[in-house]
Amino acid sequence: MGRYTFIITEKPDAAKRIAYALDSESRPTQKYENRMPYYTVRRDREIIVVPALGHLYTVAAHRKGRDHYPLFDYTWTPRYMAERKAAGTRAWVEAITRLAENADIFIDACDYDIEGSLIGYTILKYACGGKESTAKRMKYSTLTNEDLENSYAQLLPQLDFGLIEAGLARHEVDWLYGINLTRALTTAAKNHTHKYVTLSTGRVQGPTLKFIVTREKKIQTFVPTPYWKITVHLDIDGQVIEAEYEKPAIETKKEALTVVEACKGKDAVVETVQIRQFQQPPPAPFDLGALQAEAYRLFHYSPSRTSSIAQHLYLDALISYPRTSSQKLPPSIDYRAILKNLGTMPKYNELARDLLSRSHLRPREGGKQDPAHPAIYPTGNAPDAKLISSDFSLWDLIIKRFLAVFGEPATKQSIQATININQQRFYLKDIRTLEEGWTRFYKPYVHAQETKLPEMIEGQTFKVKELALKDKFTQPPARYNPSSLLRRMERQNIGTKATRAETIQTLYSRKYIQNERMAPTDLGFEVAGILEAYCPAVASVSLTRELEERMSKIQTGNEKKKSVLEEATGILKPVMLELQQNEQMIGEQLGAAIIRTQKEQNTIAECPICRQGKLMVIYSRKTGKRFVGCTNYFERKCSASAPIPQQGGIAATRRSCVTCGWPIVRIFRRGRRPWQMCLNPMCPSKRKRE
Amino acid sequence: MNNQECAVCDRMAVKKGYCSVHAKAFDSIILKYEYWRKALDVTWKEYLREIAENSLTGEWARQVAEHLARTEAEK
Repeated sequence: MGRYTFIITEKPDAAKRIAYALDSESRPTQKYENRMPYYTVRRDREIIVVPALGHLYTVAAHRKGRDHYPLFDYTWTPRYMAERKAAGTRAWVEAITRLAENADIFIDACDYDIEGSLIGYTILKYACGGKESTAKRMKYSTLTNEDLENSYAQLLPQLDFGLIEAGLARHEVDWLYGINLTRALTTAAKNHTHKYVTLSTGRVQGPTLKFIVTREKKIQTFVPTPYWKITVHLDIDGQVIEAEYEKPAIETKKEALTVVEACKGKDAVVETVQIRQFQQPPPAPFDLGALQAEAYRLFHYSPSRTSSIAQHLYLDALISYPRTSSQKLPPSIDYRAILKNLGTMPKYNELARDLLSRSHLRPREGGKQDPAHPAIYPTGNAPDAKLISSDFSLWDLIIKRFLAVFGEPATKQSIQATININQQRFYLKDIRTLEEGWTRFYKPYVHAQETKLPEMIEGQTFKVKELALKDKFTQPPARYNPSSLLRRMERQNIGTKATRAETIQTLYSRKYIQNERMAPTDLGFEVAGILEAYCPAVASVSLTRELEERMSKIQTGNEKKKSVLEEATGILKPVMLELQQNEQMIGEQLGAAIIRTQKEQNTIAECPICRQGKLMVIYSRKTGKRFVGCTNYFERKCSASAPIPQQGGIAATRRSCVTCGWPIVRIFRRGRRPWQMCLNPMCPSKRKRE
Repeated sequence: MNNQECAVCDRMAVKKGYCSVHAKAFDSIILKYEYWRKALDVTWKEYLREIAENSLTGEWARQVAEHLARTEAEK
């Protein structure tokens, strides 16, 4: 093989797309080097398109071993040398090195963002023998043939070193925080309990956990206060309509009773009717955070699931690059071409035709910008094969939102009628849509609750059908769910759009939080408490945000990586000293919390036999096998027990079997769909099935 | 009971005989009594019983309310 062009991509799927787009006959040859697939593309010159597997290089300590800290000396090294789980990437690195030997032009075609730029840079630098300074860059926002072809024709003359520097700084700062704090907590717990449990924390994880713990403290110390609400049911032309007292919360029972007494037996008179028209503008196009929030609201997908589905859709060239914070749709994406392509699909034909018939297309845009990519939009391509339900739902949502942003504002009318009952005022409210506008394009995802008030004129009198005095209590603040926590992280500017969902997932996997409505476990409380007590700087939201802002400035050349790293190290050094000095006390606190959390997580439910003990997962000392037994067994008060599968995770569902009343548990096994079972081995429902 | 221990749990007492979390719940109980008194004209004892039985009361606040009610009864 003679000299050729070497293109590095982020993932195998992207390599395939790029190879097909650049081959003059759309028939690249797939080959293998060291079992790594790559593509040979024929054009004016030979090109090979080589995939990475995400990051192939990582930050690692100079010093080997897992028990010592603090660590401030590090180097960039192949992942297979630093992480046991990444052993498989060795073959890829070696294959890339061999393929790079005979190449004379190098192109980085990884995603155009911090992570993508860093992946390409480290491979070109370390695996390709220092080609990062001469390599060119492909910049694209979709994996469609046209976009890739254009991107190849207009190569950027060099890598984006602003993004790369920002990426290097982010990884190095995160490594310094992550490795040192995690080792401090893990070592403290291990020295006390003599058991190894990874207790991770980091620059973003610490403040995120703090949000949840702070909210939980408010909930657990909450004392409700009473208030009263008065409503009347009015008979308006045979239709019963509910009106609310002018004060939404009456603070004393005495006042509430006075109002009720005054209204008893009296008629209602329409005092005023106020009608107001207003316009509801179309929504902004999706950035990743808004897509995650909408997908959670509509489909209940967690942010990490939405990210992962959006990534599939992007790799299938169905949508543009999803990890964007932009709410802009520049005309260069060619609105009409996308709409024409969408119009070829029966489902979108009518809506696309409507927009195409307009002489001028201008999308509503939001304020957020991203220098690297536009907002998320559909490419207009149809899927090659039928999409699975979750992929289809998200794709449809992205298409509908894209169509909606070109719609005209919806015209709505609000009506507020003031009703007077013996000098006591009540309100009747109604909102109705007069012109659908953009909402027509966003069905069925529009959230509009409309009531139809009958026509009313001032001075009109109605009969009061019912007068209701309701006892109410103030509510505690709501727990975070994955979507609201992500929004909070976004608002506070901690983490990046690409890593926030992953950070939330880590809090679950470390057993710091539990349930969809997030509540910290004992361990989560303890870790947050330790961070607050011994290293408040690390858990501080403002400090994290400040560091985040400085790292963002590296991207635009307004900040130096070296000074950010110096500042981060300066914060960390005294923190590590404090943690080391208090290691024993921290170990005691964490050890007790680990035991409490494990006990809590092994507890299934109240025992259905003795109603006093708790059913728990117990491991037999004799056989090592596990089963569920009552905690009262050891006091010889109850012998309730049940067999459970020996493999997989087991979780309580807080539900009871409808047949026998025993608890129902959920079993998770790798590679299998989770299933639920009644714990009672003698449950009649099981016998029926047999 | 150790003098250092919280009146409700086994954590270290930091304020008024309570650990940090139960002390916060205690403050919340004291603060809200004024609202309850105005709203329903309840006595301190009745208030403690009401909030201990209310499902919206946080777990730590409920524990402190129960502890205070017990202490009152013992007096």
